[in-house]
Amino acid sequence: MDPPPRRLAAAQLLLLLLLAAASPAAHAWKKDEFRNCNQTPFCKRARTRAPHSLDAPLSLAADSLAVSPDGSISAELSHPSRPRPLVLRLSALPPHALRLQIDEDYSTATPPHRRFHVPDVLLPDLEARTLHLPEPKTADGVSTVALSSDFDVVVKHDPFELTVRRAGSGDPVLSFNSHGLFDFEPLRESKPEDETWEEHFRSHTDKRPRGPQSITFDVSFYGADFVYGLPEHGSTSLALRPTRGPGVEESEPYRLFNLDVFEYLHESPFGLYGSIPFMIGHGAHGSSGFFWLNAAEMQIDVLAPGWDEATAPENGRVDTLWMAEAGVVDAFFFVGSEPKDVVKQYVSVTGTPAMPQQFATAYHQCRWNYRDEADVDGVDAGFDEHDIPYDVLWLDIEHTDGKRYFTWDHSAFPNPEEMQRKIADKGRKMVTIVDPHIKRDSSFHLHQEATDKGYYVKDANGNDYDGWCWPGSSSYPDMLNPEIREWWADKFSYESYKGSTPTLYIWNDMNEPSVFNGPEVTMPRDALHYGDVEHRELHNAYGYYFHMATADGLLKRGEGKDRPFVLSRAFFAGSQRYGAVWTGDNSADWDHLKSSIPMVLTLGLTGLPFSGADVGGFFGNPEPDLLVRWYQVGAFYPFFRGHAHHDTKRREPWLFGERRTAIIREAIHVRYSLLPYFYTLFREASVTGIPVMRPLWLEFPGDKETYNNGEAFMVGPSLLAQGIYEDGQKSVSVYLPGKESWYDLRNGSPYKGSVSHKLQVVEDSIPSFQRGGTIVPRKDRFRRSSTQMVNDPYTLVIALNSSNAAEGELYVDDGKSYDYQQGGFIHRRFVFADNKLTSLNIAPDNLGKKFTSDCVIERIIILGLRSGAKKAIIEPGNEEVGIESGPISLRSGSSPVAPTIRRPNVRIADDWTIRIA
Amino acid sequence: MRVLLVAALFLCASAAAASKPPLDTLGIPPQDEAYYGGGVIKCRDGSGKFSRDQLNDDFCDCPDGTDEPGTSACPEGKFYCKNAGHTPITIFSSRVNDGICDCCDGSDEYDSNVTCKNTCWEAGKAARDKLKKKIATYKSGVVIRNKEVERAKEAFAKDETELAKLKGEEKILKGLVDKLKEQKRLIEKAEEEERLKKEEEKRIKEEAEKKATVEKEAQDASHEVGSKETDPPVKEDESKVAEQHDGHATDHVPESGISDEQHGSESQDDSGIVDELPLKESAPTLEQDPSSDNPEGLSREELGRIVASRWTGESVNDVSKDNKKGHEDDHEIPEPAEAAVEDELEIPEPAEENYGSYHSDVEDDRHKYDDEDFDHESEDEYVDDHDDHVESYKSDDDQKGEHHSDLTASEHSSWLDKIHQTVQNVLQKFNFFKTPVDLSEASRVRKEYDDASSKLSKIQSKISTLTEKLKQDFGKDKEFYSFYDQCFETKEGKYTYKVCAYKKATQAEGHSSTNLGRWDKFEESYRVMQFSNGDKCWNGPDRSLKVRLRCGLSNELNDVDEPSRCEYVAVLSTPALCIEDKLKELQNKLDAMSSKQPGHDEL
Repeated sequence: MDPPPRRLAAAQLLLLLLLAAASPAAHAWKKDEFRNCNQTPFCKRARTRAPHSLDAPLSLAADSLAVSPDGSISAELSHPSRPRPLVLRLSALPPHALRLQIDEDYSTATPPHRRFHVPDVLLPDLEARTLHLPEPKTADGVSTVALSSDFDVVVKHDPFELTVRRAGSGDPVLSFNSHGLFDFEPLRESKPEDETWEEHFRSHTDKRPRGPQSITFDVSFYGADFVYGLPEHGSTSLALRPTRGPGVEESEPYRLFNLDVFEYLHESPFGLYGSIPFMIGHGAHGSSGFFWLNAAEMQIDVLAPGWDEATAPENGRVDTLWMAEAGVVDAFFFVGSEPKDVVKQYVSVTGTPAMPQQFATAYHQCRWNYRDEADVDGVDAGFDEHDIPYDVLWLDIEHTDGKRYFTWDHSAFPNPEEMQRKIADKGRKMVTIVDPHIKRDSSFHLHQEATDKGYYVKDANGNDYDGWCWPGSSSYPDMLNPEIREWWADKFSYESYKGSTPTLYIWNDMNEPSVFNGPEVTMPRDALHYGDVEHRELHNAYGYYFHMATADGLLKRGEGKDRPFVLSRAFFAGSQRYGAVWTGDNSADWDHLKSSIPMVLTLGLTGLPFSGADVGGFFGNPEPDLLVRWYQVGAFYPFFRGHAHHDTKRREPWLFGERRTAIIREAIHVRYSLLPYFYTLFREASVTGIPVMRPLWLEFPGDKETYNNGEAFMVGPSLLAQGIYEDGQKSVSVYLPGKESWYDLRNGSPYKGSVSHKLQVVEDSIPSFQRGGTIVPRKDRFRRSSTQMVNDPYTLVIALNSSNAAEGELYVDDGKSYDYQQGGFIHRRFVFADNKLTSLNIAPDNLGKKFTSDCVIERIIILGLRSGAKKAIIEPGNEEVGIESGPISLRSGSSPVAPTIRRPNVRIADDWTIRIA
Repeated sequence: MRVLLVAALFLCASAAAASKPPLDTLGIPPQDEAYYGGGVIKCRDGSGKFSRDQLNDDFCDCPDGTDEPGTSACPEGKFYCKNAGHTPITIFSSRVNDGICDCCDGSDEYDSNVTCKNTCWEAGKAARDKLKKKIATYKSGVVIRNKEVERAKEAFAKDETELAKLKGEEKILKGLVDKLKEQKRLIEKAEEEERLKKEEEKRIKEEAEKKATVEKEAQDASHEVGSKETDPPVKEDESKVAEQHDGHATDHVPESGISDEQHGSESQDDSGIVDELPLKESAPTLEQDPSSDNPEGLSREELGRIVASRWTGESVNDVSKDNKKGHEDDHEIPEPAEAAVEDELEIPEPAEENYGSYHSDVEDDRHKYDDEDFDHESEDEYVDDHDDHVESYKSDDDQKGEHHSDLTASEHSSWLDKIHQTVQNVLQKFNFFKTPVDLSEASRVRKEYDDASSKLSKIQSKISTLTEKLKQDFGKDKEFYSFYDQCFETKEGKYTYKVCAYKKATQAEGHSSTNLGRWDKFEESYRVMQFSNGDKCWNGPDRSLKVRLRCGLSNELNDVDEPSRCEYVAVLSTPALCIEDKLKELQNKLDAMSSKQPGHDEL
């Protein structure tokens, strides 16, 4: 409940009025609270340096070049004025990924500290997968190594420069230090008299006891029209806009520094909650990727052609400048013929995404806060009353006893287990929030234990770091330490987490970490972690380790049989292995709806397929039309959750009149009917890393029209949708790529490919299409939640291409366990050709576990079928079934029809063929 | 026969849960059975037709669900469960065979892996018992309500009569006051002339003296006089502003550098507001300044002040002395002005961290006001000039019930007559042509004028109060008439909620009180009382409260809740909602439920 208002003198009253009147979107983001590049010495130094102007450029000592027994190549980099040489290591991973590592030489003149190598991000079997590189061929100060039959690595010795090029043509693909900006500030023993290492920002002092240690280099992407990636930034552009150069409005570099940013801007290069230092370059002739494993603050410039005042910019080359405050060079160069190759290689290094449980791919309902058990009951009942499915009900921080996580506010939630059981009886789950800040309260066992065991992050003086967050004075478990992660994971056992049940899953918020009274609302960089690691060195990975420990906790809780579901706000490279992320505290305005698409697409490209934005917008009250549009877009987000700030009005789907309730229900129904398709896509993502929601160019890499389209998106290979991002928009232009036709999802109307179509905007859906040549599995019966849909029959929608053919897949497993890892799943490919639909098994045989299903296909809709056939024959069995004109979507009022095979009732688990007679 | 069939089915279902029910009746309500009679059946939405063997064949042919009343095949379908022993219901077809028992007879799960027990008898009995209780409440409630309605009608009529009478009195009294006013004006004019004459004489004398002095000095002296003449009113205003700040807000202003800065940079608007306060306060003084009848008086500082203080000061003092509450006037004066500012500006709630420090001061102020309000309520005679300028709930509250106690029919004629008589006497006695003015006569005229106009304003205030009341919406039968003078309270946790229909709703914690909304209107045909535009929430909407009304034997406020930030809901039980038609409806429902019981007994 709210505190009462105060009587105020007129002057203050006015002041408050002015504050209140200021629109939150325009004034809420506190620019001054965050450091820009100019206020960040390492960034300022690096950014103002001209190409090839380094005082002590590094060169490779030719005689040091050697192939190591492990198949990698090693060499020394040095410059006479540098105290020590650096050690370089080159290694190769299949099919043709190159890894470049550069660090201090700890074997000779001992540096005062070990630089931080980010642990537990790269897959543990990476070294084992390393290829044996052949002996380099050196001539004229240039060494060449064959990376694969298709690609070579060319190393220029002085100054050091590395290029990956195509073996045949010799065309460069990626290069390192072509502009001579590579600098590696050596660690120093002690501070020279005339230097100040301390840095000040606002009221905060960073002691920087280890002095400057930053690393800078330039990377060029050849043949790239655009570069993509580097989440997380608010942006309405899918491609990364240049940050400086001719004809470009100079901006800050893209900042990677995990921060809790209050009311963030939808368009800004400043850092948000998570960081993935991975960039993809793409052009008509190929794709490439560059990943720098480094968890320190990073700033990246995307340079517009001509920035270096060199000769005319090479056709389709994008130069980039990478700057990090600390760490080492541990970089990966990925090359491929198409962008999917690049994404796959990135995932082969950082891990494939976790396969979510079925329920997690359905709709989630959240609010800060559902206040008590009656509120939970009421919201749950509201969905049933309005026949709107949902799968998960969420509880934000207020459910706890004074923001002590793992506890309950017993006055509001006296019977949490009973509450969860009631929700579970309808096949639904619940999620509670568990944040990393632990209330410093000696009567709180978790705090006591963490204190006693010395598990907290330490401040620069070695005491438990004490910051301020929701509970007040708080400390933060040191998640870098595997032992502490184990300890944390155990806290999720049913014995330890009282009031938790098997249908309760977890939400990790504030894990950047957010510290309300810290510099830039986070932890001081000179705080100390396990292994004498400074916070500055691992900052961007803190949330990742926390997410990891929580997911491990749920895995342990379920004895390894229940796939964890943990949503995290902070993320780093590799977070895909531990669960979902969302785009944090967005705002209820049209711009944030629009920027959610490039943001989610970018996450997908950088290995994190399971993401979404808060539907409706977290801050502020969405206009009802905006809320409706957000549901229509959100239904296609891989992670689909409605969420709201506690100052906002209630916005459960049925609160905006019958008409809007019906439209929102329809939007949620679209998601539920496509759940079999989504689940199949999640399977693909979990094997290959190819995201669920994809930029158009991932499917149409040769179509330049698609390269910077951040408004439309693909869901898998078969569906394309585009949001309505403006209030009252009457018409919308939708570009449909490729040669084949597209079919309107709602009414089956065909549209030509490679054409921009101007479409009438309709109220009850956003433009969405199925691509000719694809088959999409659906379930058209709606239930309370996805749980009750398990036995429901399928609908197949076949959209024929110009050769009257189509293909699609269906993946099904038990939706929750790890049996699928031993073959416990059904995986079919449906192929339609020559008037025959065939179901083929594409699951490998005999992996151990079996999964089967009695589910049948009740309906096959064929779009683009020109024959007037009236019957079909099912083989085996020669059973005859009718083809009728049937509704495309089962909604009264609008029933466009298409040829429909009625009740073939073939089992999805079986092989069969249906021949149109 | 069919009943038996269905009953038999239940036995099967509960025994084995395996056999499917007959498809031609599955999920179809009895009244629709005829619709499904033919060989070819139309989709209700006109989208097509289907053959009899397509009925409930678990494939959706009609998008509206016509062909699949008994299966889950059509998303928009509805399934009818008979629920013998309880009430039949229609459920969404999405519930059919979903593994969850929705119908108490279990008929929705005829082909799923769960076995639903038939709980209709127990559930039906519980429902009937509940309904019976509700009916009992309604029965008693209807009686109470009828009495209330009778009472309300009488009271309403009485109030209307009262209003008519007051209006009559107002007319007479207004005539008298006008006469006295004219009389007084003449007296004052005579007095003024006399005084002017004296002053003129004095001036001539002084000027003669001055002529003896150097001219330059004379100029200086006159300049001094001039400045004296303009200074004092400014000072007065300042002192009043200061007074107000002392009492209310002095502590707040210098609180933070930021606020000072802001103050400075926004001085335009700022000063506008600040100016408004002294203006509002001094306004009564100026408006009622009798010297407006006497324009020369304005140029005379001395006179202006005397006259002004006589009118403003005296009349306020008289009232306050009579009411033994003079000491409270200091608080009272600024309050309406401040309230007005509040109304205009919609004070946002300050951010706690920035403004927390004056929280307690403010609460103290609130406390004072609250006490004050409380005092007023106990006063028999409270008429204050300020109420003429500022309408607030408080004045409504304060004056409630007065007109009955004070101005009963028999009494009022006597006091009116008395005034009338006195005035006549005074008017007759006074001799306008006598010079100098007879001071005792003049003061008598003034006193009579004061008395009469005070009575008049009191009557006018009562008229406006009563008019305000009578124009409210009291419901179809005026069943909410008694709510006008009532407040309903309940405690939830640390808060006390107070709902005053037609006025406002508050949430009080200790001595601080928050306005949850001013009376807005009834909604949903008198089932909801809406209070809107309460205190503004920081970063949120104005507070509001919806009070849901339900039939109960007494007026009881319960279940206050805040489902959305600053949007409150509460439940008020009241006999006013015990409506006879609704009672009949409930009885019919009970009859319908009870009549189905034999169906169960047949088993």
